[in-house]
Amino acid sequence: MSPASAGLAKKLGYTDVRVYLEGEPVWLEAFLPTYSSEEFILHGNVVLVDMRPRNQVIEGRIQGAYSVPFATLENALGDLARNAPIVLYGEDEYQEEEAIFILRAEGFRNVSLVRGGYQGWLKNDGAIESGPIFATEITWVRQLGRGEVSVADFRRAASGEDTSAIIIDARTREEVAELGTFRHTINMPLDEIPSRMDELPRDKTLYVHCATGARADMAYSELVNNGFDVKFLLLDIQDAECDCEIIRPEEQVI
Amino acid sequence: MNRSLPYLFLLCLVAAMLATGCAGPQKTETARDTGPPEAVAEAGHGTYEGEIVGISERARTISIMVGRGEDARRMMVKYDADTQGINTVAQGYAAVLTYETRGADLYATAVSPRLARLPEGVSEIKTAELEELIFSGEPLFLADSRPPARYAQSHLPGAHSLPVPLLNEKQGEVLPEDKDIPLVFYCGGVT
Repeated sequence: MSPASAGLAKKLGYTDVRVYLEGEPVWLEAFLPTYSSEEFILHGNVVLVDMRPRNQVIEGRIQGAYSVPFATLENALGDLARNAPIVLYGEDEYQEEEAIFILRAEGFRNVSLVRGGYQGWLKNDGAIESGPIFATEITWVRQLGRGEVSVADFRRAASGEDTSAIIIDARTREEVAELGTFRHTINMPLDEIPSRMDELPRDKTLYVHCATGARADMAYSELVNNGFDVKFLLLDIQDAECDCEIIRPEEQVI
Repeated sequence: MNRSLPYLFLLCLVAAMLATGCAGPQKTETARDTGPPEAVAEAGHGTYEGEIVGISERARTISIMVGRGEDARRMMVKYDADTQGINTVAQGYAAVLTYETRGADLYATAVSPRLARLPEGVSEIKTAELEELIFSGEPLFLADSRPPARYAQSHLPGAHSLPVPLLNEKQGEVLPEDKDIPLVFYCGGVT
């Protein structure tokens, strides 16, 4: 899309027109900062984190912000959903850049900043709140896309409470042997699904999961194309949110 | 990053043209062109052209979207150590993939990004130079060509939201008055 726009600008007479073809993905990989717009910060499905000292946060913060002082950020990583868009602001740019580095290095994919931090927000007359912080637990619920199963429904299948559904673990045998698997689960690696799908039940809803959701998404498409009743779990199964019992593969009873 | 620079250059171009449809009619093979997988299996080999919609290194599998509109289908193809060019393609970008059948499976023998060109008089800027330009504070008009929702979530420092349809409609009205100010356009691939 950007080259077409650049071509148009050139035609309109602009003399110095370039395209950053590497684009936002490479910018992020270089651990460089990106920013979110005000509307998204206030009304998007985000986790907004204020990293300033607690007393400053009580004095005034961006509406909807959680308080995670910078010194405690690394300990709080387990409380943050890995695929949630996370928007940060702190005491200064250096702290914000360091926080971006910590989170992206830990595998958080969507981390961005508030332009100008809290002072910049005030200057733009952004919405604020003050007083004690009651929300100590960080909550974030993914808005489900097409074909996605909610974590709650997935958990009911894993516990055996919902017998109309069965779980498909699309990870490799090696991963399952090393890390274990859930109950009521068929292990069928993604690459074997096209040739082995006849082994899967057609009278149950299939919930496909893998490690982060990428393979589950691919398996979902393949199974939908072949007429299965299927959904996929888009969740890093390391997230505490999953909270399903993990067993050794040999203990599996379907 | 193990992709070579020219590849990235071309990848984003392809992505750009796919997203805007500015490359004209795509020469994408439809499912009808290649026939159903069963028919292909008899032939033993073939080509898929389209957007890579998934790559799993662990499962050594590529998903590629072939055909357009009603005919669009996701095809799953395995790859192995002999597959050429696996590091030259990425999810969200257009590619050409040749495959052969082994038993019940399709295996990619080679895969490469689909090529395109930059408009005349327009050059590329790399990450390091752009970083320097942005943080130097010198005059710059940085335009984010992605849809507004993507801009809202995360954009480069100081970027203006300038989605392709908006620029096409408003033309010079949404660009700076000074025609000598450096303009940089960026996108995020077809994601």
